[in-house]
Amino acid sequence: MPAFLTALNPGWLLILAGVVAIFLPMRRARQGIAIAAPLVGIALLAMADQNVNHLTASVMGMDLVLYRVDGLSFVFGLAFLIAALLNAIYAWHTDDRVQDGMALAYGGAAVAAAFCGDLMTLFIFWEITAVTSVFMVLGAGTRASYFASMRYLGVQILSGVLLLAGIAYVYKDTGSISLKVFENLAEPGALLIFIAFGIKAAFPFLHNWLQDSYPKASVVGAVVLSAFTTKLAVYACARMFPGQDALIWIGAVMTCFPVFFAVLENDLRKVLAYSTNNQIGFMICAIGVGTPLALNGAVAHAFADIMFKGLLFMSMGAVLYRTGTTKASELGGLYRSMPWTTVFCLIGAISISAMPLFSAFVTKSMILSAVAHAGLPIIWLMLMFASAGVLEHSGIKIPYFAFFGHDSGRRVKEAPFNMLLAMGMAAFICIAIGIPAIVPGLGYEWLYNLLPYREEAMSYQPFTFDHILTQMQLLVLATFAFVVLKRFGLYPPEKPGTILDTDWAYRKIGFGMAKWLGTVWGKVGPAMTAVFFGITGRAYDRIEAAFSPRGELARGALTGAMAIWTAALLGLVLLLAFVTVG
Amino acid sequence: MSNDTPETRDKSGRFLSRAAEKAHDLHTVSDEGVHPMAKILFGWTEAKNIGAIMFWGLGILGAFLIVLDVFVHRHDYFTFANSTGFYGLYGFACFAFVVLMGWPLGNLLRRSENYYGDAGGPPADVDPDRPMPPENAHPTYEGDD
Repeated sequence: MPAFLTALNPGWLLILAGVVAIFLPMRRARQGIAIAAPLVGIALLAMADQNVNHLTASVMGMDLVLYRVDGLSFVFGLAFLIAALLNAIYAWHTDDRVQDGMALAYGGAAVAAAFCGDLMTLFIFWEITAVTSVFMVLGAGTRASYFASMRYLGVQILSGVLLLAGIAYVYKDTGSISLKVFENLAEPGALLIFIAFGIKAAFPFLHNWLQDSYPKASVVGAVVLSAFTTKLAVYACARMFPGQDALIWIGAVMTCFPVFFAVLENDLRKVLAYSTNNQIGFMICAIGVGTPLALNGAVAHAFADIMFKGLLFMSMGAVLYRTGTTKASELGGLYRSMPWTTVFCLIGAISISAMPLFSAFVTKSMILSAVAHAGLPIIWLMLMFASAGVLEHSGIKIPYFAFFGHDSGRRVKEAPFNMLLAMGMAAFICIAIGIPAIVPGLGYEWLYNLLPYREEAMSYQPFTFDHILTQMQLLVLATFAFVVLKRFGLYPPEKPGTILDTDWAYRKIGFGMAKWLGTVWGKVGPAMTAVFFGITGRAYDRIEAAFSPRGELARGALTGAMAIWTAALLGLVLLLAFVTVG
Repeated sequence: MSNDTPETRDKSGRFLSRAAEKAHDLHTVSDEGVHPMAKILFGWTEAKNIGAIMFWGLGILGAFLIVLDVFVHRHDYFTFANSTGFYGLYGFACFAFVVLMGWPLGNLLRRSENYYGDAGGPPADVDPDRPMPPENAHPTYEGDD
């Protein structure tokens, strides 16, 4: 392979292709590029040697590592590239230059960030993901999406600014910007970087941007968004904060609280946004545990999540595309007109619920085992609770209220073929990595082989009788709970409405304060201006009265007075001189 | 001799191969807008007493899995998790708790759709040919009955 190809970060290729796509008016050529670039990227990645710096640079005394692949970044980069490919197929029916190009560049920036070896390069691609991804929200073209995208951009840029500030601290303290594990959160640099990652990973109270923007994005945009930003933050945490105790609790809380919101929420894409939050929680918790088993679990679950969450967003996108809504209260019975979409959605739903033979069963179980090994019973119970919650909102609620349940009477066309193809491919991956390794090296072993701690991964056995029995117990009885609650009319109805989350603090109180301050300023400002001009105006009048050509001092009578004064002052100075000398 | 003639010709007398005919039928949406695959894949969900079947089926399956647990000596890390049927009962309890919390939390947190003043239509890239929602399509909400 030529040298320049081995040094080519697949992410850069995607960004380059994205920039070309933005200016390419020929629709099919543009879409061809969008499909070809990730494929070439996957090939480049497959041929890249691991743990070698393929491309380095030195700028202003800082050593930048622009392309480096290792066991941890490989899985994330591969998942991002596959997601970029699926997104391009999913977008085949659209004709939107900006969206095509930005989606490609966004995926590319995530890949490039995963494959960089220093903080400064990470920061640059971190910011590119922010700027390119906002077009996914803006592309929806509604008033709500415009405001949501501005809030989104503000939060994402804030994350970047905090990251940069943290890097500055770290560089000042250590003189190095290489990626390293931070152990002490008390150092300001480490803490700033931690919060920057926390924003993008949507830690509790920093999570609102996700639920705010994803459901308001365009049909294709939401699918694109679901893959990259949060998982890049998971990668960054796994790279720099493995074994950080704070993450255990942050992750566990993240798995639990979205469950309650997801039950209440009527917009099914917003339910998926909460579900994203909940799944990221599992990964963050595992990173906090930090053992090889836990980190393997986090990475494997991130890979699986990119596939099944993408699949679920795709199926809801198909519903939105054909019906114009994803509100549970307006949907139902769509399996009659969209049976294939229903099948794929169900595969995604079963996968995320960790049913044996589907992806999350072999990935999430590593996380739960690692938490148990670490002797954390409360955390373990929280994660088990969240697992039942996942089954509720993503496993049952999404497919049930969209495709089954109360028939909305909507009769629409099945999703376009390209959407079905992308969903089919994602569904295939969900099953392919979830099945036992009947052929050694395939099935779940294919994924386990790629994990950063390969030997630990290969010695882990997900398909034990105990594990299958306990998981089936959990799923069957939780589903039974759904049937019981439905049968006795205890399941809360799906009602249209806005569910308040903590963003109420800034969207209502904060906005109200700003508005109030605006009103106050509107009144105080002119009043202060009036006082200021009053004072200065009067002062001017006085000064003018004294010094202007027509003023007091310029009058003829004063010329004589000035001579007298000058003489008097001269006399005084002479007197002083005599006194001091004498 | 020509017993199969009616089967190889369609109504207007043209010859058709049966496989092609079948494939054609499988993606031709009926007049009521129902996709033919829907009947094949999910027709069972329309069974009259599907609610009862699901209820009893899952109940019996769940009970079976718990009974099976009695005979299996599991090796969980936590002693409480080794107790019979722990996973099933915990799953049932958690699920029921989450759903039932939906009632008080809904009353507490649900506001009008336009609470933030940004309620709006679908994004720009939805299907331009989509049918408008049927009138009075949802006079009652799911669970009202």
